[in-house]
Amino acid sequence: MKRIYLHPAPIRLWHWVNAGSFIALIVTGLQVRYRGAISLMSFEQAVDIHNIFGFVLLGNYAIWLLYYLLTGKIKIYLPPAKLGEFIKKAINQAKYYGYGIFVGEENPHKSTPENKFNPLQQTAYLQIMALLIPVQLLTGFFLWDMKLFARWIDLAGGVKIVDTVHVFLFLFFSSFMIVHIYLATLGHTATAHIKAMITGYEEEHESGH
Amino acid sequence: MLNGMRNLGQAYLARDGKAPAGTEDQNIGPRLRNGLVVLFGPFIGLSFIVLLPLIPVIFVLALIPRIALGSAALESDEARMCMGCHSAPMTKTFVNGEKLSVHLQDKDFAGSVHSFAACTNCHSDVHLDKHPSAKYASKRDFLLTVAKSCRMCHDDRQLLASPVHKNIVNWANAPPCSDCHGTHAIRKVAVLKAKKNISEYCLTCHGKDLSTSINGEKVSLSVKADAIRNSVHSKHACTDCHAGFSTKEHPVKKFGSKRELSIALSGACGKCHPDKMKQMEGSIHAKMLSNGNLAAPVCTDCHSSHTVGKTALAETLAGIPCKRCHEDVFKMYRESVHGIAKAGGNNQVPICSSCHFAHEVKAAAATEKMKEACLGCHTEALRIHSKWLPNAGAHLEAITCAACHVPETSEGGHRSIYLYVSDKETGVNLGEAQVEKILGKETSLQTCEESGNCISPDEFRTIYRKLGKDTPVQFTGRMKLQSGLDAHRLSLKKNAVRKCEQCHSAGSDFFSDVKMAIMKTDGRVQVYNVDPSVLSSYMAILPLGKFYAIGSTRVRVLDYLGILFVLGGVSVPAAHITVRILTRGIRRRKKGGHR
Repeated sequence: MKRIYLHPAPIRLWHWVNAGSFIALIVTGLQVRYRGAISLMSFEQAVDIHNIFGFVLLGNYAIWLLYYLLTGKIKIYLPPAKLGEFIKKAINQAKYYGYGIFVGEENPHKSTPENKFNPLQQTAYLQIMALLIPVQLLTGFFLWDMKLFARWIDLAGGVKIVDTVHVFLFLFFSSFMIVHIYLATLGHTATAHIKAMITGYEEEHESGH
Repeated sequence: MLNGMRNLGQAYLARDGKAPAGTEDQNIGPRLRNGLVVLFGPFIGLSFIVLLPLIPVIFVLALIPRIALGSAALESDEARMCMGCHSAPMTKTFVNGEKLSVHLQDKDFAGSVHSFAACTNCHSDVHLDKHPSAKYASKRDFLLTVAKSCRMCHDDRQLLASPVHKNIVNWANAPPCSDCHGTHAIRKVAVLKAKKNISEYCLTCHGKDLSTSINGEKVSLSVKADAIRNSVHSKHACTDCHAGFSTKEHPVKKFGSKRELSIALSGACGKCHPDKMKQMEGSIHAKMLSNGNLAAPVCTDCHSSHTVGKTALAETLAGIPCKRCHEDVFKMYRESVHGIAKAGGNNQVPICSSCHFAHEVKAAAATEKMKEACLGCHTEALRIHSKWLPNAGAHLEAITCAACHVPETSEGGHRSIYLYVSDKETGVNLGEAQVEKILGKETSLQTCEESGNCISPDEFRTIYRKLGKDTPVQFTGRMKLQSGLDAHRLSLKKNAVRKCEQCHSAGSDFFSDVKMAIMKTDGRVQVYNVDPSVLSSYMAILPLGKFYAIGSTRVRVLDYLGILFVLGGVSVPAAHITVRILTRGIRRRKKGGHR
């Protein structure tokens, strides 16, 4: 059993703050949007908590961005220069999730601190971190004070459009979290990846490879 | 003068042989003048002394003819006989109880142009052997009877030559001649008016009880001099407002009614108050007027005609002119927090003009100024709302103050969503004419004036597309009370809408009535019923991009999309786990093979 220090402390902290904020934002978001169907708290409380965690997520995103930019580790999110090879690896990875994993094949991707994500993760996380989270933060920020950002909201086409985008992404992230948690159980044991995100060390199973 | 005196002094000194050296031969002028003084001085002085006492004599002699003329009428036997009794204090009592002094003195006839006439020329029912036995109903009746005698000498041709007479001679209630010309000291009005300024000139007649009739409607033409003197226009001449009239001109103006007369005369105010007139021209009242509604108020309705000033203003501020047409609003106002405070003596509370403005009165639904009026006094409103209300600024923009601060009861206070269509670039609301021009007269809108949810989401999008075909348009939503009347029933803060859930819940009553609002030419708003589902339809995402209330107007398609996303998110792991369970044997065998 080989142990690799895959998740440095700032990233682990960032991840769990992110996770907590996501859950809080999803719950309060549902409460705000589906008042009547859900009654966990008052509308006012839901809005207040949603706003607080919105800012936590915003700060957290800034920490993540600064950390990865300053340490230069941002490149783990970026696809390699050889796109053909990257696509080939992505197909192999998809094949593994769709077939290999069922027949006991090894995961074609071995995570290292320098090459942490497999091509599919890299694609998904790049889109999420570089586009979807910023858009979600920005639309949330606009909706937090609509008068202050009136010009930007108008530029985007109006509050209804801004909100539609925000809700669409909220639905996407809700769905993503389910898949994300499931995929987190696909380590050599069901909790291996989750433990790694707590301790920082990923245990690599060395069964004949 | 001083030079003359100096010269005379020099001449005197010269007579004494003490003339200044070198002046005697050189100044010949003074010497000549002294010569003239010596020659004519005694004659002038003598003449002055003789003529001085003659001046008052000449003056008295000049007046004698006038005095003589004034009392000439009294010199006849008839006059002496009449005055035999009438020079003593006595009164005549009319049927209605009015009394008239018939005590006359010589001075009462002074300056009369009828000095040649005998008493019975005018009092034709009186003869030396017969004193009138006629019973007059009133003083006026008596004066009118006597006035008939005037027509014996002054025929219509002569009377109609005067514009004033021409105007009033055929009135059924024309004043008796004596009203303007006097009774015994009869004279030309021009003589009476000669030394008067133009306003006094007008008041010679209009200061009396004067009225006319327009299509059977009595119209007073009397003006109280005191009212003018106490008004803010006391320094104005009558002709400043009543253009076209002068001491020489008295045009006859024809009006269909007393109201038309008031409306026409109000136009004169704009000469000095063009700014106010311009504001008024943009008001709903001016629009109503131009659309033929003569009941719409003009300047004089609020400011009065001749008493413009403190008294009229006090009435205006008390909203009395507004009350004449808006009694129902006053009833609501009395019950409001403002009305109660005003009744309690608080003069800081708003009155009609505080919110609706004095001249640029607009339909509440057609202006944003109403909110400015509220915030004008409640300057801390935004800060106070911000303490508990997220996006307070946006709330205050989209919701009228009254929509939250008027309690909803079974009798009223119901809210509606008004969707205004405006030019996307300029933000100016589209008017009825523009909408008709684009959509054509035969649109579905025409059938939507009745109750019922007429405009479906699909139709709404079609209307949006058509309206924005040439110039992009945008619908803006506002939450307002259904009845403008209710808006005057503002209540205490504790009764206002406070719970977010009242608004931000699916199926909230606040969003159950939706109207498309088009500005009418008269400044009011034409509303068309809209299916409330428009607010949450994906078809309205673009048209209603600027109107959104979380929870209550959420786009329903996104709900279904959300269910699909979650199902997708759950089904992927579920399917994967299922396959993993089913393929467990394969992996176990492979693992065994490795071993």
